[in-house]
Amino acid sequence: MKFFKARIFFTIILFLAISLPTVLAQGNRDYMRETGKINVVIGVIVLIFIGIVTYVLRLDRKLTKLEHQLKDDKNGWTN
Amino acid sequence: MWWKALSVVLIVYSLIAGTLVPLKPGITYVSPQTARSGQQLVLQLHGYNSFYAQSPANDIRVWLQYDSAQALTGQQIRVLNDTTLEASFLIPTELPRPTASVMLNAIIDHPADGVSLLPSAIEIVKDSIASQANWSGGNISGLHVKKDFSFPYRNVIYESIRNTYFHVPMWFVLMFLFIASAWNSVQFLRFSNPAQAAALDSKKGQSLLDFDRKAAAYAEAGLLFGILGLITGMLWAHYAWGAAWSNDIKQLMTAVALLIYLAYFILRSSFDEPEKGARLAAVYNIFAFASLIPLLYIVPRMFASLHPGATGNPAFGSEDLDNTMRMVFYPAIIGWSLFGFWLAQLRYRYQRLLDKATGLD
Repeated sequence: MKFFKARIFFTIILFLAISLPTVLAQGNRDYMRETGKINVVIGVIVLIFIGIVTYVLRLDRKLTKLEHQLKDDKNGWTN
Repeated sequence: MWWKALSVVLIVYSLIAGTLVPLKPGITYVSPQTARSGQQLVLQLHGYNSFYAQSPANDIRVWLQYDSAQALTGQQIRVLNDTTLEASFLIPTELPRPTASVMLNAIIDHPADGVSLLPSAIEIVKDSIASQANWSGGNISGLHVKKDFSFPYRNVIYESIRNTYFHVPMWFVLMFLFIASAWNSVQFLRFSNPAQAAALDSKKGQSLLDFDRKAAAYAEAGLLFGILGLITGMLWAHYAWGAAWSNDIKQLMTAVALLIYLAYFILRSSFDEPEKGARLAAVYNIFAFASLIPLLYIVPRMFASLHPGATGNPAFGSEDLDNTMRMVFYPAIIGWSLFGFWLAQLRYRYQRLLDKATGLD
Protein backbone atom coordinates (compact mmCIF):
# COMPACT_ATOMS: atom_id res chain seq x y z
CA MET A 1 0.00 0.00 0.00
CA LYS A 2 2.79 2.36 0.99
CA PHE A 3 4.56 1.53 -2.24
CA PHE A 4 1.52 2.46 -4.31
CA LYS A 5 1.03 5.69 -2.38
CA ALA A 6 4.62 6.69 -3.13
CA ARG A 7 4.09 5.75 -6.78
CA ILE A 8 0.98 7.90 -7.07
CA PHE A 9 2.70 10.80 -5.31
CA PHE A 10 5.72 10.75 -7.62
CA THR A 11 3.55 10.33 -10.72
CA ILE A 12 1.62 13.45 -9.74
CA ILE A 13 4.85 15.38 -9.09
CA LEU A 14 6.28 14.26 -12.43
CA PHE A 15 3.08 15.20 -14.24
CA LEU A 16 3.09 18.66 -12.61
CA ALA A 17 6.75 19.19 -13.48
CA ILE A 18 6.22 18.25 -17.12
CA SER A 19 3.03 20.24 -17.59
CA LEU A 20 4.26 23.32 -15.72
CA PRO A 21 5.84 25.10 -18.72
CA THR A 22 2.63 24.59 -20.72
CA VAL A 23 0.41 25.74 -17.84
CA LEU A 24 2.56 28.83 -17.31
CA ALA A 25 2.50 29.69 -21.02
CA GLN A 26 -1.32 29.85 -21.25
CA GLY A 27 -2.88 32.42 -23.54
CA ASN A 28 -0.75 35.35 -24.61
CA ARG A 29 1.23 35.46 -21.37
CA ASP A 30 4.31 33.40 -20.64
CA TYR A 31 4.96 33.82 -16.94
CA MET A 32 8.43 32.35 -17.19
CA ARG A 33 9.53 34.84 -19.84
CA GLU A 34 7.87 37.87 -18.24
CA THR A 35 9.78 40.35 -16.07
CA GLY A 36 13.16 39.31 -17.34
CA LYS A 37 12.70 35.54 -16.78
CA ILE A 38 12.88 35.97 -13.00
CA ASN A 39 10.50 33.03 -12.54
CA VAL A 40 13.11 30.68 -14.01
CA VAL A 41 15.22 31.53 -10.95
CA ILE A 42 12.26 30.83 -8.66
CA GLY A 43 11.75 27.51 -10.47
CA VAL A 44 15.40 26.52 -10.00
CA ILE A 45 15.29 27.34 -6.27
CA VAL A 46 12.04 25.37 -5.87
CA LEU A 47 13.52 22.35 -7.71
CA ILE A 48 16.59 22.33 -5.46
CA PHE A 49 14.37 22.63 -2.39
CA ILE A 50 12.13 19.75 -3.54
CA GLY A 51 15.15 17.57 -4.30
CA ILE A 52 16.82 18.08 -0.93
CA VAL A 53 13.56 17.68 1.01
CA THR A 54 12.85 14.43 -0.86
CA TYR A 55 16.30 13.13 0.07
CA VAL A 56 15.89 14.09 3.74
CA LEU A 57 12.41 12.52 3.84
CA ARG A 58 13.84 9.25 2.49
CA LEU A 59 16.52 9.29 5.18
CA ASP A 60 13.84 10.06 7.77
CA ARG A 61 11.83 7.03 6.69
CA LYS A 62 14.90 4.79 6.87
CA LEU A 63 15.64 6.04 10.39
CA THR A 64 12.06 5.36 11.48
CA LYS A 65 12.40 1.81 10.19
CA LEU A 66 15.66 1.39 12.09
CA GLU A 67 14.03 2.70 15.28
CA HIS A 68 11.21 0.18 14.95
CA GLN A 69 13.73 -2.55 14.32
CA LEU A 70 15.62 -1.67 17.48
CA LYS A 71 12.43 -1.54 19.56
CA ASP A 72 11.36 -4.98 18.39
CA ASP A 73 14.74 -6.58 18.99
CA LYS A 74 16.39 -5.01 22.03
CA ASN A 75 18.79 -7.91 22.50
CA GLY A 76 20.31 -7.42 19.06
CA TRP A 77 21.37 -3.92 20.05
CA THR A 78 24.79 -3.89 21.62
CA ASN A 79 26.80 -0.84 22.67
CA MET B 1 28.84 21.94 14.42
CA TRP B 2 29.88 25.51 13.58
CA TRP B 3 30.27 24.65 9.90
CA LYS B 4 26.67 23.40 9.70
CA ALA B 5 25.44 26.76 11.00
CA LEU B 6 27.84 28.50 8.60
CA SER B 7 26.43 26.54 5.66
CA VAL B 8 22.89 27.68 6.52
CA VAL B 9 24.01 31.31 6.96
CA LEU B 10 25.86 31.31 3.62
CA ILE B 11 22.97 29.67 1.73
CA VAL B 12 20.45 32.12 3.20
CA TYR B 13 22.81 35.00 2.34
CA SER B 14 23.14 33.77 -1.25
CA LEU B 15 19.36 33.34 -1.52
CA ILE B 16 18.68 36.88 -0.30
CA ALA B 17 21.50 38.67 -2.10
CA GLY B 18 21.15 36.50 -5.18
CA THR B 19 17.47 37.28 -5.65
CA LEU B 20 17.20 40.87 -4.39
CA VAL B 21 20.22 42.72 -5.82
CA PRO B 22 19.00 44.45 -9.00
CA LEU B 23 20.43 43.98 -12.47
CA LYS B 24 22.29 46.77 -14.24
CA PRO B 25 20.16 48.63 -16.78
CA GLY B 26 20.00 47.24 -20.29
CA ILE B 27 18.25 47.74 -23.62
CA THR B 28 15.62 45.09 -24.40
CA TYR B 29 14.77 46.21 -27.93
CA VAL B 30 14.53 49.19 -30.25
CA SER B 31 11.74 50.06 -32.63
CA PRO B 32 11.69 50.10 -35.59
CA GLN B 33 14.10 47.20 -36.11
CA THR B 34 14.81 47.94 -39.76
CA ALA B 35 15.51 51.23 -41.55
CA ARG B 36 16.58 52.33 -45.02
CA SER B 37 19.78 54.15 -45.87
CA GLY B 38 19.33 57.89 -46.37
CA GLN B 39 16.31 57.94 -44.06
CA GLN B 40 15.63 60.37 -41.20
CA LEU B 41 15.03 57.73 -38.51
CA VAL B 42 13.23 58.34 -35.21
CA LEU B 43 14.27 55.46 -33.02
CA GLN B 44 12.62 54.36 -29.77
CA LEU B 45 14.86 52.52 -27.32
CA HIS B 46 13.24 50.39 -24.61
CA GLY B 47 15.26 49.97 -21.44
CA TYR B 48 15.18 47.42 -18.66
CA ASN B 49 15.75 48.47 -15.02
CA SER B 50 16.60 51.92 -16.37
CA PHE B 51 15.93 55.37 -14.89
CA TYR B 52 16.21 57.59 -17.97
CA ALA B 53 13.94 60.31 -16.49
CA GLN B 54 16.29 60.89 -13.56
CA SER B 55 18.80 62.83 -15.65
CA PRO B 56 18.25 65.77 -18.01
CA ALA B 57 17.80 64.60 -21.59
CA ASN B 58 20.84 66.47 -22.91
CA ASP B 59 23.16 64.49 -20.59
CA ILE B 60 22.05 61.23 -22.23
CA ARG B 61 23.87 60.12 -25.35
CA VAL B 62 22.77 57.50 -27.88
CA TRP B 63 24.71 55.84 -30.69
CA LEU B 64 24.11 53.28 -33.41
CA GLN B 65 27.46 51.56 -33.64
CA TYR B 66 28.85 49.70 -36.64
CA ASP B 67 32.30 48.81 -35.28
CA SER B 68 34.81 50.20 -32.79
CA ALA B 69 35.60 53.16 -35.01
CA GLN B 70 32.35 53.84 -36.86
CA ALA B 71 29.06 54.96 -35.33
CA LEU B 72 26.12 57.33 -35.80
CA THR B 73 25.30 59.81 -33.04
CA GLY B 74 21.68 60.28 -32.01
CA GLN B 75 20.21 63.81 -32.16
CA GLN B 76 17.24 65.42 -30.34
CA ILE B 77 17.07 62.89 -27.53
CA ARG B 78 13.74 62.84 -25.72
CA VAL B 79 12.97 60.93 -22.54
CA LEU B 80 9.41 59.55 -22.73
CA ASN B 81 9.59 57.76 -19.37
CA ASP B 82 12.07 55.85 -17.21
CA THR B 83 12.26 52.97 -19.68
CA THR B 84 11.72 54.68 -23.06
CA LEU B 85 14.01 57.01 -24.97
CA GLU B 86 13.58 58.60 -28.37
CA ALA B 87 16.48 59.67 -30.57
CA SER B 88 16.62 60.67 -34.21
CA PHE B 89 19.34 59.59 -36.62
CA LEU B 90 20.11 60.71 -40.15
CA ILE B 91 21.17 57.46 -41.81
CA PRO B 92 23.81 58.13 -44.52
CA THR B 93 22.99 57.06 -48.06
CA GLU B 94 26.08 54.86 -48.21
CA LEU B 95 26.73 51.95 -45.82
CA PRO B 96 30.17 51.37 -44.24
CA ARG B 97 30.42 48.07 -46.11
CA PRO B 98 29.48 47.31 -49.76
CA THR B 99 26.58 45.02 -48.87
CA ALA B 100 22.79 45.23 -49.04
CA SER B 101 22.41 45.56 -45.26
CA VAL B 102 24.36 46.07 -42.04
CA MET B 103 23.43 45.34 -38.41
CA LEU B 104 24.06 48.12 -35.91
CA ASN B 105 24.43 47.94 -32.12
CA ALA B 106 22.48 50.39 -29.98
CA ILE B 107 24.42 52.11 -27.18
CA ILE B 108 23.00 54.39 -24.49
CA ASP B 109 25.20 56.32 -22.09
CA HIS B 110 23.39 57.72 -19.05
CA PRO B 111 25.07 59.68 -16.22
CA ALA B 112 23.45 57.57 -13.46
CA ASP B 113 22.60 54.28 -15.19
CA GLY B 114 25.94 53.91 -16.93
CA VAL B 115 26.41 52.56 -20.41
CA SER B 116 24.20 49.83 -21.89
CA LEU B 117 24.44 48.05 -25.22
CA LEU B 118 22.15 45.96 -27.40
CA PRO B 119 24.06 44.01 -30.07
CA SER B 120 22.54 43.84 -33.58
CA ALA B 121 19.68 46.08 -32.51
CA ILE B 122 18.68 47.41 -35.92
CA GLU B 123 19.23 46.45 -39.55
CA ILE B 124 19.92 49.14 -42.15
CA VAL B 125 19.03 48.06 -45.72
CA LYS B 126 20.09 49.62 -49.02
CA ASP B 127 18.99 49.05 -52.62
CA SER B 128 22.29 49.30 -54.48
CA ILE B 129 25.58 48.00 -53.16
CA ALA B 130 27.86 49.93 -55.49
CA SER B 131 29.82 51.97 -52.98
CA GLN B 132 30.62 52.43 -49.35
CA ALA B 133 31.24 55.30 -46.95
CA ASN B 134 33.15 55.95 -43.76
CA TRP B 135 30.93 56.46 -40.69
CA SER B 136 33.64 57.69 -38.36
CA GLY B 137 31.59 60.72 -37.31
CA GLY B 138 30.18 59.35 -34.05
CA ASN B 139 32.74 59.53 -31.26
CA ILE B 140 31.94 57.08 -28.44
CA SER B 141 33.94 58.20 -25.41
CA GLY B 142 33.59 59.37 -21.83
CA LEU B 143 31.21 56.55 -20.97
CA HIS B 144 29.71 56.32 -17.48
CA VAL B 145 29.73 53.34 -15.13
CA LYS B 146 26.87 52.63 -12.74
CA LYS B 147 28.20 52.83 -9.19
CA ASP B 148 25.49 50.93 -7.29
CA PHE B 149 25.91 47.27 -6.31
CA SER B 150 24.21 45.40 -9.14
CA PHE B 151 24.57 42.32 -11.31
CA PRO B 152 25.42 42.50 -15.03
CA TYR B 153 22.66 42.69 -17.60
CA ARG B 154 22.91 40.06 -20.34
CA ASN B 155 20.61 39.69 -23.30
CA VAL B 156 18.51 36.52 -23.59
CA ILE B 157 19.13 35.37 -20.01
CA TYR B 158 18.22 38.67 -18.24
CA GLU B 159 17.29 37.97 -14.58
CA SER B 160 18.06 34.27 -14.92
CA ILE B 161 21.76 35.22 -14.59
CA ARG B 162 20.97 34.73 -10.88
CA ASN B 163 20.85 30.98 -11.50
CA THR B 164 24.66 31.22 -11.32
CA TYR B 165 24.23 31.18 -7.53
CA PHE B 166 21.95 28.13 -7.51
CA HIS B 167 22.60 25.93 -10.53
CA VAL B 168 26.40 26.26 -10.68
CA PRO B 169 27.15 25.54 -6.97
CA MET B 170 25.42 22.15 -7.43
CA TRP B 171 28.32 21.10 -9.69
CA PHE B 172 30.93 22.38 -7.25
CA VAL B 173 29.29 20.37 -4.45
CA LEU B 174 29.21 17.30 -6.71
CA MET B 175 32.91 17.71 -7.42
CA PHE B 176 33.90 18.11 -3.75
CA LEU B 177 31.72 15.18 -2.66
CA PHE B 178 33.04 12.90 -5.39
CA ILE B 179 36.61 13.84 -4.45
CA ALA B 180 35.83 12.92 -0.82
CA SER B 181 34.22 9.69 -2.02
CA ALA B 182 37.22 8.71 -4.15
CA TRP B 183 39.59 9.59 -1.29
CA ASN B 184 37.70 7.26 1.06
CA SER B 185 37.80 4.49 -1.52
CA VAL B 186 41.57 4.92 -1.76
CA GLN B 187 41.81 4.78 2.03
CA PHE B 188 39.70 1.62 2.07
CA LEU B 189 41.98 -0.15 -0.37
CA ARG B 190 45.07 1.10 1.45
CA PHE B 191 44.00 -0.18 4.85
CA SER B 192 42.56 -3.44 3.51
CA ASN B 193 46.19 -4.39 2.92
CA PRO B 194 47.12 -6.60 5.95
CA ALA B 195 50.43 -4.77 6.32
CA GLN B 196 48.53 -1.54 6.94
CA ALA B 197 46.04 -2.99 9.44
CA ALA B 198 48.17 -1.92 12.41
CA ALA B 199 48.07 1.69 11.22
CA LEU B 200 44.27 1.48 11.12
CA ASP B 201 44.04 0.30 14.73
CA SER B 202 45.84 3.41 15.93
CA LYS B 203 43.07 5.58 14.48
CA LYS B 204 40.44 5.79 17.15
CA GLY B 205 37.21 3.95 16.43
CA GLN B 206 37.90 3.61 12.71
CA SER B 207 36.95 0.33 11.12
CA LEU B 208 37.79 -0.66 7.59
CA LEU B 209 34.15 -0.68 6.48
CA ASP B 210 33.78 2.90 7.71
CA PHE B 211 35.77 4.03 4.65
CA ASP B 212 33.37 2.16 2.39
CA ARG B 213 30.34 3.66 4.13
CA LYS B 214 31.83 7.14 3.84
CA ALA B 215 32.67 6.62 0.17
CA ALA B 216 29.10 5.48 -0.54
CA ALA B 217 27.51 8.30 1.48
CA TYR B 218 29.61 10.99 -0.25
CA ALA B 219 28.88 9.46 -3.66
CA GLU B 220 25.15 9.32 -2.90
CA ALA B 221 24.99 12.96 -1.80
CA GLY B 222 27.12 13.91 -4.80
CA LEU B 223 24.74 12.09 -7.10
CA LEU B 224 21.80 13.96 -5.51
CA PHE B 225 23.47 17.29 -6.29
CA GLY B 226 24.35 16.08 -9.77
CA ILE B 227 20.72 15.23 -10.51
CA LEU B 228 19.63 18.59 -9.07
CA GLY B 229 22.24 20.34 -11.23
CA LEU B 230 21.05 18.50 -14.33
CA ILE B 231 17.36 19.22 -13.69
CA THR B 232 17.88 22.89 -12.83
CA GLY B 233 20.12 23.15 -15.89
CA MET B 234 17.31 21.71 -18.03
CA LEU B 235 14.83 24.25 -16.68
CA TRP B 236 17.28 27.09 -17.34
CA ALA B 237 18.08 25.69 -20.80
CA HIS B 238 14.37 25.59 -21.67
CA TYR B 239 14.22 29.37 -21.37
CA ALA B 240 17.76 30.29 -22.42
CA TRP B 241 18.64 27.77 -25.15
CA GLY B 242 15.05 27.14 -26.33
CA ALA B 243 14.85 23.46 -25.35
CA ALA B 244 15.27 21.59 -22.07
CA TRP B 245 17.36 18.87 -23.71
CA SER B 246 19.18 19.76 -26.90
CA ASN B 247 21.71 16.88 -26.87
CA ASP B 248 24.34 19.45 -26.08
CA ILE B 249 27.74 17.84 -25.47
CA LYS B 250 27.83 19.19 -21.90
CA GLN B 251 24.39 17.74 -21.13
CA LEU B 252 25.19 14.37 -22.70
CA MET B 253 28.56 13.93 -21.00
CA THR B 254 27.10 14.97 -17.63
CA ALA B 255 24.33 12.41 -17.99
CA VAL B 256 26.92 9.74 -18.82
CA ALA B 257 28.98 10.69 -15.74
CA LEU B 258 25.90 10.47 -13.49
CA LEU B 259 24.98 7.06 -14.96
CA ILE B 260 28.50 5.80 -14.23
CA TYR B 261 28.05 6.80 -10.60
CA LEU B 262 24.57 5.23 -10.54
CA ALA B 263 26.19 1.93 -11.53
CA TYR B 264 28.50 2.27 -8.49
CA PHE B 265 25.53 1.76 -6.16
CA ILE B 266 24.21 -1.19 -8.14
CA LEU B 267 27.66 -2.82 -8.03
CA ARG B 268 28.08 -2.14 -4.32
CA SER B 269 24.71 -3.64 -3.38
CA SER B 270 25.04 -6.76 -5.52
CA PHE B 271 27.34 -8.70 -3.16
CA ASP B 272 26.32 -10.69 -0.11
CA GLU B 273 29.72 -10.37 1.49
CA PRO B 274 30.08 -6.72 2.55
CA GLU B 275 33.90 -6.77 2.50
CA LYS B 276 34.08 -8.16 -1.02
CA GLY B 277 31.44 -5.76 -2.32
CA ALA B 278 33.20 -2.86 -0.63
CA ARG B 279 36.53 -3.77 -2.23
CA LEU B 280 35.12 -4.01 -5.77
CA ALA B 281 33.04 -0.86 -5.26
CA ALA B 282 36.13 1.00 -4.08
CA VAL B 283 38.04 0.03 -7.22
CA TYR B 284 35.07 0.97 -9.41
CA ASN B 285 34.68 4.29 -7.58
CA ILE B 286 38.27 5.27 -8.36
CA PHE B 287 37.72 4.49 -12.04
CA ALA B 288 34.41 6.40 -11.98
CA PHE B 289 36.20 9.43 -10.57
CA ALA B 290 38.93 9.12 -13.18
CA SER B 291 36.28 9.19 -15.92
CA LEU B 292 34.40 12.08 -14.28
CA ILE B 293 37.11 14.65 -15.00
CA PRO B 294 37.26 14.16 -18.79
CA LEU B 295 33.48 13.79 -19.01
CA LEU B 296 32.72 17.04 -17.16
CA TYR B 297 35.70 19.23 -17.96
CA ILE B 298 37.64 18.01 -21.00
CA VAL B 299 35.32 16.45 -23.61
CA PRO B 300 32.69 19.27 -23.50
CA ARG B 301 35.44 21.78 -24.36
CA MET B 302 36.49 19.90 -27.47
CA PHE B 303 33.13 20.29 -29.23
CA ALA B 304 30.77 23.17 -29.93
CA SER B 305 28.47 23.67 -26.97
CA LEU B 306 25.82 26.13 -25.88
CA HIS B 307 27.10 25.98 -22.32
CA PRO B 308 29.33 28.84 -21.14
CA GLY B 309 32.90 27.77 -20.53
CA ALA B 310 32.84 25.44 -23.51
CA THR B 311 35.15 25.79 -26.53
CA GLY B 312 38.34 26.17 -24.61
CA ASN B 313 37.66 28.91 -22.07
CA PRO B 314 37.77 28.33 -18.36
CA ALA B 315 34.17 28.09 -17.17
CA PHE B 316 34.34 31.42 -15.36
CA GLY B 317 36.15 33.99 -17.40
CA SER B 318 35.74 37.70 -16.89
CA GLU B 319 32.79 37.60 -19.29
CA ASP B 320 30.74 35.24 -17.14
CA LEU B 321 31.37 36.68 -13.68
CA ASP B 322 32.05 40.18 -12.44
CA ASN B 323 33.12 41.29 -8.98
CA THR B 324 29.57 41.89 -7.72
CA MET B 325 28.61 38.35 -8.74
CA ARG B 326 31.69 36.91 -7.05
CA MET B 327 30.53 38.39 -3.74
CA VAL B 328 27.47 36.13 -3.90
CA PHE B 329 28.85 33.26 -5.97
CA TYR B 330 31.76 32.23 -3.72
CA PRO B 331 29.73 32.27 -0.47
CA ALA B 332 27.05 30.21 -2.28
CA ILE B 333 29.65 27.61 -3.28
CA ILE B 334 31.06 27.38 0.25
CA GLY B 335 27.58 27.25 1.80
CA TRP B 336 26.24 24.55 -0.51
CA SER B 337 29.44 22.49 -0.20
CA LEU B 338 29.26 22.47 3.59
CA PHE B 339 25.57 21.60 3.32
CA GLY B 340 26.38 18.73 0.97
CA PHE B 341 28.95 17.33 3.43
CA TRP B 342 26.39 17.69 6.21
CA LEU B 343 23.84 15.64 4.24
CA ALA B 344 26.45 13.00 3.38
CA GLN B 345 27.53 12.78 7.00
CA LEU B 346 23.93 12.15 8.13
CA ARG B 347 23.69 9.39 5.54
CA TYR B 348 26.97 7.86 6.77
CA ARG B 349 25.94 8.00 10.43
CA TYR B 350 22.66 6.29 9.60
CA GLN B 351 24.47 3.52 7.74
CA ARG B 352 26.88 2.95 10.65
CA LEU B 353 23.96 2.66 13.09
CA LEU B 354 22.13 0.28 10.79
CA ASP B 355 25.19 -1.94 10.36
CA LYS B 356 25.74 -1.96 14.12
CA ALA B 357 22.13 -2.91 14.73
CA THR B 358 22.22 -5.70 12.18
CA GLY B 359 25.55 -6.93 13.47
CA LEU B 360 27.50 -6.27 10.29
CA ASP B 361 30.30 -4.39 11.96
